[in-house]
Amino acid sequence: MKKIDVPILKNIVGEENISTDPADLFIYGSDSSVHSARPWVVVRPGDTQQVQQIMAYANQEKIPVVTRGGGSGMCGQTVPVQGGITLDMKRMNKILEINAPDVFCRVQPGVVDDDLNKALSPFGVFYPPTPASSRIATIGGEIGNNASGVRSVKYGATRDSVLGLKVVLADGSLVTLGARTRVEATGYQVHKLMVGSEGTLGVVVEATLSFVPIPKFRCLGMANFDRLEDAGTAIADIMASGVVPSMLELVDSVAIKAVNKTMDLGLPEVEAVLLYEADGMVKEAVDYEINTMQEVCKNNGGTGLTSSYDAKERAKIFLGRKKLFPALSKFSDALSSTSLADDMAVPYSKMAETAKMIHEIAARNNIIMTAYGHCGSGCMHTKILMAPNRQDQWESAKRAVAEIYEYVRSVKGTTSAEHGIGISKASAFKAEKNDSLKLMINMKKAFDPNNILNPGKLMDAHEDWVTATDLRYTVA
Amino acid sequence: MEIRPFETKHLDKWKSTLDSCIRCGYCYEHCPVFKDTRWESNSPRGKMIMIYGLLSGKLDPSTYIADKISSCFYCGRCNAACSSGVTLTDIITDAKRDFQGTEFETPGSTSVTNTDCAACLACVRICPHEAREFINGKIVTDTVKCQSCGICVDVCPNKAVATNLSYGTDRSSLNREIRTFLEKDNGKAIIFGCNWSYYPDFQSSVMDPETPPEYKILINMCGGRLEKPLLLEPFLQNAWGVLVACCPDGDCEHDGNVKAKTHVAALREFLKEMDMDENRIQLVQIAHGDKAGFQSAIDKFMENLNTLGPLNRQ
Repeated sequence: MKKIDVPILKNIVGEENISTDPADLFIYGSDSSVHSARPWVVVRPGDTQQVQQIMAYANQEKIPVVTRGGGSGMCGQTVPVQGGITLDMKRMNKILEINAPDVFCRVQPGVVDDDLNKALSPFGVFYPPTPASSRIATIGGEIGNNASGVRSVKYGATRDSVLGLKVVLADGSLVTLGARTRVEATGYQVHKLMVGSEGTLGVVVEATLSFVPIPKFRCLGMANFDRLEDAGTAIADIMASGVVPSMLELVDSVAIKAVNKTMDLGLPEVEAVLLYEADGMVKEAVDYEINTMQEVCKNNGGTGLTSSYDAKERAKIFLGRKKLFPALSKFSDALSSTSLADDMAVPYSKMAETAKMIHEIAARNNIIMTAYGHCGSGCMHTKILMAPNRQDQWESAKRAVAEIYEYVRSVKGTTSAEHGIGISKASAFKAEKNDSLKLMINMKKAFDPNNILNPGKLMDAHEDWVTATDLRYTVA
Repeated sequence: MEIRPFETKHLDKWKSTLDSCIRCGYCYEHCPVFKDTRWESNSPRGKMIMIYGLLSGKLDPSTYIADKISSCFYCGRCNAACSSGVTLTDIITDAKRDFQGTEFETPGSTSVTNTDCAACLACVRICPHEAREFINGKIVTDTVKCQSCGICVDVCPNKAVATNLSYGTDRSSLNREIRTFLEKDNGKAIIFGCNWSYYPDFQSSVMDPETPPEYKILINMCGGRLEKPLLLEPFLQNAWGVLVACCPDGDCEHDGNVKAKTHVAALREFLKEMDMDENRIQLVQIAHGDKAGFQSAIDKFMENLNTLGPLNRQ
């Protein structure tokens, strides 16, 4: 371990904003992934200047820096593989400006997604990327990850909403990227490159984001399918039907059981449930879209078709999906829900086959896997339910993950749709992007010649995700 | 008392539960302790990770950890937010049990009694959690039973009871907030909201508005610990009015709403005696999570206050 001059950092951020206590290092060394490591120090900058000073010091001493927001990442992006400084950005939490006429807002990176949307709602607008973790996810973390969520099918991912960024580079210098305009063709769009770079290219200290009007009408529908394949075909048919759903979600039988058990919602225990939503300013248009989707579901064997415009009723229909991720951990007392192979995307026509393949691979490897997700954007989520204290389960999980990604590549899908790469998905990412890896490594070098920004991630990550770091579990 | 070694005797049963915790962090947006410091070690998830560290031998016990874990107001919002079904406050209580009597035991956010205590035993009688005892001529707080509601702080006539770690809920912190807010041109009213019945929409972010709001909501741990001097402080800083929100009858675990009602009624009488409109101080009872009801009560109160105008007009 390199020597780190804590008093220098204390001078920058103040004594109350720094910790080297083993308990803090342990906490800040993990997130919502299976990984765990420890930083050498946790530092909480309060403004841009402090971030610049910290980066200048770290660059000079070649100390790794890992930027952290809510710590809700699922692939280990904020796990400090090589120790160093964990930069907790939650103090930089100001919504700086809401400019309704010019349709943008400016925020600091520690602003929580839901808080931003609460502040935007009096203006009749919303910030659409909103992942499921929006209640704690910070805008900075969402930018690092190119986060998206249930409405990405219509409104896009974080990258589509980022107009500009202020970024502190590895050497501590500050750059302003992008513009405050809807379109820009002025040279390289470096701000777009920053989105999804997982803290490996710079530290975002301010973001200029666009927003969209809150639709006047929103209608949510639901259909049950006795066969998973039929639900998959319905997804592809909906996307080819000419309508643009504002949400299109698949929930499989494993997920349904988990939600019923946890939430006591009494969902029908079928092979798959589809949730489809349309929104807009004109009711007739929303009616048309919902009816079209309903018709497609019916034609593909969907039953129990229901839909509602009523907010309370919609919340009730969607509650199961909303609570799915934590509910999976209650599926069985002996099993824990782990975020592995958790967010691949495949072409619409391959959704059904992918879901089926996931279940086959899980059965073959003696683990339980779910298939659910934002199918409207091609994203298929899974969780591996396993006994995390048993070594053999990790070997099974590793095999299953490798098999799933091999399949995903074979159908021209992609490793991650929204959770990013971090540590857990690095080997699959490298296999998928084989011919552009060298280019990406050179780009990283141009931004960060000393490799201090979140080292050990993406191209730089260990091939074997199980042994890349300590696991957060105690494995016998 | 003999110091015993730290053992995870009570915590051991939670091992598999903590494996089930997916560390999603959905608990920490609700935690008043986390919101005050924004250190993850003050969040419910942070506490669970520390406890996991103790159970797995990856962390050694320390006063630092005991202090963090013993800082909990038992509002239970974390339990309600966790759909993995982890009852975090039960785990926290068991951690406090394991720390009790060891060299690491600390009061955290629980109450302590200083030498000004006149042994009137008012705090012992009023404690809803039976956490205070008179032993060998001294008041002793049971750190496991104490839920940091702070009723004892309010009831002590000698001001001998305090919480060392109050996370912004003690009188001096609230007074500071009151003064800072009312210094602004637009500041008119202070709204005291109880953490059990209401918590603010904005969890961890801050709005930088061009026009500052007319009122500020200050969250306290229980209506029962709102002392009369604290309720009067805004008036001393030229506030137009004060609104107190507490739980409906029968809903308060600490009977704090009964005390709050008594305080507000007395202060309304006091305002009348001073030839001031008694409606400048009001109390509303808000059911758990009824944000719409709370907002409408605030709007009504502010509307009336704007009719009454500033204090110096009367």
